[in-house]
This record gives sequence, C-alpha cells and structure tokens, in this order.
Amino acid sequence: MGGPRSKVFGLASRDYLHEWQMSGCFVLALAAVLGPMLVLFGLKFGIVGAMVDQLIEDPRNCEVRPVGSGRYDRAWLESVRARPEVAFLVPRTRSIAATIELSSPQASRIVPVELIASDRGDPLLPPNGPLPEGTTRVVLSQSAAEKLDVAAGDTLDGSLARRFRGHQERVHLPLTVAAIAPARAFSRDGAFVSVMLLEALEDFRDGRAVPLLGWEGEPVDANRTYPGFRLYARSIYDVAGLRDAFARLNVDVHTRTAEIELVQRMDRNLTAIYWAIAVIGLVGFSLSLGASLWANVDRKRRELSVLRLVGFRTADIVWFPMVQALFTAVLGWALAVAIYQATAWVINDMMAAQLETGQQVCRLLPWHYAIALALTCGAAVLAAGLAGLRSARVEPSEGLRDL
Amino acid sequence: MSTDASTALQPTRALIYHLRDVVKTRESEGVAFRLRVPSLQIAMGEKIALIGESGCGKSTLLDMLAFILQPSTAGAFRFRPECDGESLDVQAYWKDGKLNELGDLRKRHIGYVMQTGGLLPYLTVHDNMNLCRSVLGLRPDGTVEHLAEELGITSHLSKLPDALSTGERQRVAIGRALAHRPSIVIADEPTASLDPYAAEKVMSLFLGLAEELNITVILASHAWRHIKELGLRRLTHRTLAYASKRLTETVVSG
Repeated sequence: MGGPRSKVFGLASRDYLHEWQMSGCFVLALAAVLGPMLVLFGLKFGIVGAMVDQLIEDPRNCEVRPVGSGRYDRAWLESVRARPEVAFLVPRTRSIAATIELSSPQASRIVPVELIASDRGDPLLPPNGPLPEGTTRVVLSQSAAEKLDVAAGDTLDGSLARRFRGHQERVHLPLTVAAIAPARAFSRDGAFVSVMLLEALEDFRDGRAVPLLGWEGEPVDANRTYPGFRLYARSIYDVAGLRDAFARLNVDVHTRTAEIELVQRMDRNLTAIYWAIAVIGLVGFSLSLGASLWANVDRKRRELSVLRLVGFRTADIVWFPMVQALFTAVLGWALAVAIYQATAWVINDMMAAQLETGQQVCRLLPWHYAIALALTCGAAVLAAGLAGLRSARVEPSEGLRDL
Repeated sequence: MSTDASTALQPTRALIYHLRDVVKTRESEGVAFRLRVPSLQIAMGEKIALIGESGCGKSTLLDMLAFILQPSTAGAFRFRPECDGESLDVQAYWKDGKLNELGDLRKRHIGYVMQTGGLLPYLTVHDNMNLCRSVLGLRPDGTVEHLAEELGITSHLSKLPDALSTGERQRVAIGRALAHRPSIVIADEPTASLDPYAAEKVMSLFLGLAEELNITVILASHAWRHIKELGLRRLTHRTLAYASKRLTETVVSG
C-alpha cells in the first residue's frame, strides 16, 4: 500500500505548491484564529497564573499561630515539627522579654525593636539568604534598618535592662546586621534572631545567668518550656488539617483559613472562566478550520474524481485532502506561534518596568505549543478526512460531471 | 437504427463486454430518464461508436462501461479484459460495494477520455500523460514521448495544462488514456469542444493510435459524418418520450 500512498502524498504536495496562493490563504486564515488564541492563553497563563501563585505562595497564609500562651517543651515541639505538613517551626519566648533597644553609630536615636525567633528555612526570609545566627548576627526589618540607617554588614549595639536583686542592671551586646529582610516580611521595627539569643535575653530578664555572654544570675532551669511557637504549613492546603490536629491536642490556634478559602475559590473561578473562554475559542477555531478544509475538499471534488477514475482507491483519495490539511495545520500553527512570539515580546517589553525581573505577563510553556499543534492537526485531519471520505463515496461519474 | 454490416459481431472473437437487460434510471425534478440496454456485446479490438444528441444517454452508458456508474438493474454485466482471462461479474462487484476492486480493473484495463480536460492542473503535460502508468508502477519506456510525438505535443511536455489550448489539452487527455496500453479506451465526445477541423484531426489521430496499439475503442459522438469514414461500428439506439409519464427512455443495443 506504500506505493499509491506515497504517490498521493507527492500529488497532494504538488497541488498544494501549485495552488500556493490558495494554500497561503488557508494558512493565514488558520494563523489569524490560532494566533490570538495563543496570546489569550499566554496572558491567562502569565497574569492569572502569577497572581494565583503569589496568593498561594504568600507565607502568611500558611501560618498557624497558637492563641494565648502555653507551656510547650522541646520534645513536644519536635514531635510537631516532625509532621510532614509542617514546613517550619521555631519556639518563641515570652513576647514581653522579646525586645531589645538598638543603636547604631550612624543614627542618633535608640530604636526599640521586637525580636522574632527565626531559623534556617524561615518562610518570611528569602531562601538561601543570610540567616540570623548565634548571639551576634541578626536580620533587621526594613523599617528598623531605615531608622538605624544601617545596611547588611554594619554593626549595632543592643542593650537591655533588668531589675536584679534590688537594683537596675543594663547590659550591652554587640550585634552585626546579617541582612535586611524584605519589606513584606515584617512591617514594624523588628529583628529576626536565633532562638539561642532569644533564650539568652529571656534568661537575663528573668534574673538567670547567661554564661555564654558573661551575664550573672540564678542557675538556668534545665526543663525549659516555651509560651508559643512560629509554625508554617507546607502549603495553604495543609493549614486546615493542621488546625484540626491542634484542636485534637487542645491547642487553640489562629489560621487564615477564611482567606485561604477565598484564594482557592478565586483560583477555581478564574480557572473556570478561562476554560469557558478556551473551550469557546477552541470550538470556534475547530469549526472555522473544519469549514475551510471541508469547502476546499468540495472545490477539489472533480480532481479527486479524476484520481478515482485512474484507479486510486478510496483510502488513497481520502489521504489526498488529509495531506494538504496537515500542511495547512503545521504551517498555520508555525505562523500563529510566530505571531504569538512577537505579540508576547511586545507585551512583556511594555510591562517590563512594572514587573519583577524574570516575571512575564504573557508566557507559554513548550507543552502548550505542543498541545496547540496536536489540536490543530487533529481538527484538520478530522475535517479533511470526513470531507475526503464524502467525496470518495460519491459515484465517480457524478464527481466528474458535476462541474 | 442501422447496424453497419461490415463490422457486424463475429461470434468467434472473445467478448470484452457482455451486457443483457442493463437499466439505469435517473430522476430529477419529476422528470425521469431511463437507459435500457437489452443486449450489448463488444468484442476485443472492436471500434464502437455511439452516436446521438447530447442528453440521450451516451455518457450514462459509457460511465457504466467504465465502472464509474452503477447500473440500476442488470440481467448480466460481464467484463473479460483478457482473451484467455476469466469473465468477471461487474454487477456483483457493485452489489458488494467493491469500488476499490472496480478501480483496480479500471486502472489496469481502461483508459478514459473525458469531454473536456480532466487533466490535473498541478502536473506537467508529461506527468499527466504518465499518470496512469505511474499509478500502475510501469517503468518509463518511451511510450509517453512516442505518444506525445504522434499527437504533436512534444514541445509542451514540460508545461502545465493551463498553458495549453483546449485542443492541445484534449490531445494530452488522449495520450493519458493510451499511455498505459489499456485493453479498452472509452472516450466521451473527446472532440466536442474543438473546432471541426481540429476535431477531425484529433479524432483520426486518436483512432490511428488505438489501431496501432490494438486497443478496443468505445466512442460517443454527436456527429456521425466524419466517424463513418473511420470505420467504426455504430450502436443502434432509439429514444422514446412518454409525455404522460414524464419519462424519456433510450434503448441501446448492438
């Protein structure tokens, strides 16, 4: 069967080239429909995708915060941290103790800041960025850094006071700015510090000794408990489950479940709207492609009948318009991709100023192109095949004398 | 109405077509047309002419003989393309929907010349003439070139049909129908679109070539005058109009 089939392929190709103006029109018509579809899809994927991603990825939506203060020991906290849906957990000290007064050589004023327990993997800090470490390295919130007029690498003086054995005591602590946290991480004056430093400051305020920093006081209680913790779920989809798990442990927690549901609903609604547009577009596209290919086969009925007359079989005759439809599909798709690329480049270039680097308003992934190609070829082959079959079924004499 | 005595059927020769009680009925807008063939026998190598006004059913008969039109009913419709081959029941092929098998028979044994063109516009004259040969997988053996020379179209071989006059295109069509050396060539008014002088020339070229290649010819024409001189057997036909039933019937036999 390879002989006649490749013969028909050759004939169909020569006809396609011979009628290059007509073929060009079909390719243009296809690209005119498919190109804007790709741009629309690219915009939805770029804008809506990024928006939803941003909402989903905002770490504050993943936070599970215990209400009030409890007494959580290290072993219990470790068991919670071991849960697969927990992405990050550090113990917190009492918030009254978690403050420090900062001063810098550049700024004249003393800035009291809140201290936030932090550690490797803190979702509020940039991943792979510098971390608070030990008793000296801290990450300042942006507003604190501005007031102190410091940048990463600068030194600070931290001071805190206590009443101990009847008289006021003040200690000073040299600190280094490891980094400045992004503005959205913490809006007030604050500093991300290691749990170790927080424990030391709490111990000092409680009148206990901190041998590490040479501060004197009562001996430290070995069975330390924490009044709270900072916990972030792996994703927003794990928050509700964690909330229920804590409820079973009689730990009252505050979550952003309501906001998360809003985000999820928005994600679903936008996706549904998009799919409605995509399906309507796809149906319209298939109909327009199908109609033009169907009309083309009708136009060629006499020539197909001539092929029938010289003895080509039904399958070969159906193959003829299918080959041509495939040419149209592939060329039209390629042109549509070129149209899309140019449009996307212009849109992204226009929007570049308002975007973070690397972000694109209009973008498609390679598999989107592949799907577009597959759908186009599928619709083309189906339409041309059906039309070709109809032509092949007509009694040859009728096809020959029609025109 | 008259049978040419000189080319009367010789019973000893192998019959290529044998038709008995073949009927094709067509209806359009309340007017029916019926072609009836009580008996038709065509022997191998014969040159047959079917003469009549246009619309009398010539094309219908030719299309049935070329297996591109299905008879409405047939007592017998047998086709024996080779002297020593078996006789095939064409009506049975139609009944079984074996269009592809009929196509294969046509491809191998029949050449068809249409009233106008029927050339593929995207193939050169050479490739158009070579079409049937290439479909059959025949190697180039100079036949196309020889026919082109005989038909006087050698200088057009590399042109597309668009560049040719109507008469030249008809010659190409004749060349295509003969190039694969079929057993039969069926021609439906091959010269109707040509001026009388060109028509006569093309017709004698055609019949001369068919004679040279020993091909059976079945020809439809509306003019008998110049066909007569070429020694063809004329099939008789009469057309009856039944006004009350709005039916036109043509009866052909030979």
